[in-house]
Amino acid sequence: MIQLKQVSKSFDEGCSYAVKDLSLRVNTGETLVLLGSSGCGKTTTTLKMINRLIEPTEGRIEVGGEDIMKQDPVVLRRRIGYVFQGIGLFPHMTVEQNVGLVPRISGEPIEKRNANAHQLLEMVGLHPETFANRFPAELSGGQQQRVGVARALAADPDYLLMDEPFGALDALSRELLQQELLDLKRKLEKTIVFVTHDIFEALLLSDRIAILHQGRLEQVGTKKDILSAPATPFVKDLFSKPARQLADFQEMT
Amino acid sequence: MASESLAAFVSERLPELWFRTGEHLMLTGSSSGVAMLIGIPLGMLLYRKRWLRNPAMGTISILQTIPSLAMLAFLLALLHKIGALPAIIALTLYALLPIVRNTLTGLEGVSAQVMEAAKGIGMTEGQQLRMVRIPLAAPVIVAGIRTAVVVGVGIATLSAFIGAGGLGQFINRGLALSNTRLILLGAIPAALLALLLDFTIGAFLWGVAPERKRKGGSAQNFLRAAALGMPVLLVITGILAYFSNPYAQSRRISADDLNARTVVIGTKNFTEQLILGELMAQMIEARTSLKVERRFNLGGTMICHGALLSGEIDLYAEYTGTGQTAILKEPVIADPEAALRHVRNVYAERFKISWLKPFGFNNTYAITVRKDQAKTLGWNKISDLKKNQKGIRAGFTAEFAERPDGYPGLSRAYNLRFNEIKDLEPSMMYKAIAGGEVDVICAFSTDGRIANYQLKPLDDDRKFFPPYQAVPIIRGRCLQENAELGDVLSSLGDVLDNDAMQRLNFEVDGEGLSPAEVARAFLKSSGLI
Repeated sequence: MIQLKQVSKSFDEGCSYAVKDLSLRVNTGETLVLLGSSGCGKTTTTLKMINRLIEPTEGRIEVGGEDIMKQDPVVLRRRIGYVFQGIGLFPHMTVEQNVGLVPRISGEPIEKRNANAHQLLEMVGLHPETFANRFPAELSGGQQQRVGVARALAADPDYLLMDEPFGALDALSRELLQQELLDLKRKLEKTIVFVTHDIFEALLLSDRIAILHQGRLEQVGTKKDILSAPATPFVKDLFSKPARQLADFQEMT
Repeated sequence: MASESLAAFVSERLPELWFRTGEHLMLTGSSSGVAMLIGIPLGMLLYRKRWLRNPAMGTISILQTIPSLAMLAFLLALLHKIGALPAIIALTLYALLPIVRNTLTGLEGVSAQVMEAAKGIGMTEGQQLRMVRIPLAAPVIVAGIRTAVVVGVGIATLSAFIGAGGLGQFINRGLALSNTRLILLGAIPAALLALLLDFTIGAFLWGVAPERKRKGGSAQNFLRAAALGMPVLLVITGILAYFSNPYAQSRRISADDLNARTVVIGTKNFTEQLILGELMAQMIEARTSLKVERRFNLGGTMICHGALLSGEIDLYAEYTGTGQTAILKEPVIADPEAALRHVRNVYAERFKISWLKPFGFNNTYAITVRKDQAKTLGWNKISDLKKNQKGIRAGFTAEFAERPDGYPGLSRAYNLRFNEIKDLEPSMMYKAIAGGEVDVICAFSTDGRIANYQLKPLDDDRKFFPPYQAVPIIRGRCLQENAELGDVLSSLGDVLDNDAMQRLNFEVDGEGLSPAEVARAFLKSSGLI
């Protein structure tokens, strides 16, 4: 379980807030999607506060019931898988080395790491024989992000933070990866926080959705709750837009 | 120039070429190595301590702007040593800038996104640096080392000026003897060495690229091993060249000789000095059981004097006028006997250096012009130049242009002010006046080229130039320990007058004989050996 209690973050000593008074709970085994209004990075800030890549100005964050500020950030981060926006793979390491990196820095022996890496590659749909010795630059965007997911899972963490992982992919690979993530989710039962700006992605992958606007929480709930009872005009507007676009699209065809 | 064939010229010098190349590799290699040991950690420190960057980079950049010869002269004064040590220090200082700069640039250039990923997956600070930042910066750092090494090969040619050897030795000797072949014998291998080192580091870089770690075919594995092995091979070659060839062995003191005492003879870097050096060396070799080590071609009076004071060399030939004006910084004494008496006393007291018996000639500066021009304009003595001074272009050696007994004093004594002064290297000076590029030069009165190039020395009608009698000068300590040296060297007293010296100089400069050959022939014909 991850809990945010009245968390605020200001990058300019209180003149303005990227996140303001945010309280949220992510239940164990649940996928919570943080749906932001635009790519201004405020939603990502929230995600990065959970593993202390960014430290909150005010409030308290607990992971597994413990205050994260009382934990060694290195240990904390190794317990939490992170899939980065863009790519975030290390260009000088092979796929196998990238995937085995978290176990390696925690001191696991190489045979175990490699076996584990091959298993994970298999799981994200990359044939280890073909891909283990390739470098990130020799992979397509979709393949790279699969490696990113495999790397985040390598130390078998209870928590997974995913920062717009499929944002840069073409529509077809994106859909494929979304489906595969759904399968993985069912199989692995991780607690996942997933940042996106894509409403359909949020609807597809979430158990619950938290809608953020200008650093404040607008509404949090299941897709049914939100669609049937939007809490604010912003939420209502946000979800009515795709419906309108769909109508326009049907008119055209 | 002697009609020696090119093949014979090269093959005769092959053992020495091999040895000098080894020396050159040693100078470049050890200085680059030290610069890497200092530069890479320093670059990393600067990356972390932002406030240190400007002062540190500023200092290193300023070091880079110091002219190489000035740097060598300065280190010589500081360390009181000639040879490899000051040369390696100077080369190290020059190599620092590219290495530190590229280390810093490389570390800064790693993308912030990649570094955030490294932090985000739970790497410690040390792991981030070791596993991500340094490996990603490595190509830029190695590029800096590559620059440093290639530039270092070039600068190392100057180390010969302070007796550190290397391929610059040939260039130096070639310049002193105006022998283009000798210059090229140093310059071409140095250029090839620079290319080879550049290629080697390039190959190494190719070999360690992450892609090469992947298992490939046997051809690829072989290439990779070759690329990685090349630097090692080169170092081994350098060591072999340095320690195991006939030339080096002939120079190195063998076990039998360990008990034999050694006398180190120095010379400045022009023909007459080389001949005098050989005369003294061959006399000592023929008449005593002492070993002679030749550290010839040192880059000027101050370097020879410094080396003699510090005991790096035991003796060299100095000129009375030079000792008095350039070393003691005293006004001129016109009477040759009085001048010699004076420097002998002061040197003995102040430096514990003895002036022995003069060789017999007086190699004073001679303000020299072209014969035909002297005829047309009616120049016979130096004061005759006054009427034409507005149009006169002078070409002087750097030393003459600066020394109190050179142009500054001359200009005062004759109230002369030439239109243009060019600093020229001695052998260039003669070519320049013969080619009509300058009108007046500061020749040496014993120089064989005065006659050869149809030049005319002007009469010093105001007796400005002091006497410059050439005299062997020796460290007092060395003379005490080897009393026989005094007698042997004194037997060279008064054996050469100005005409004889001019002839010997011309045999080297004009006829292309080596100073050693000329010295041997002279000693034999005079019945000295």
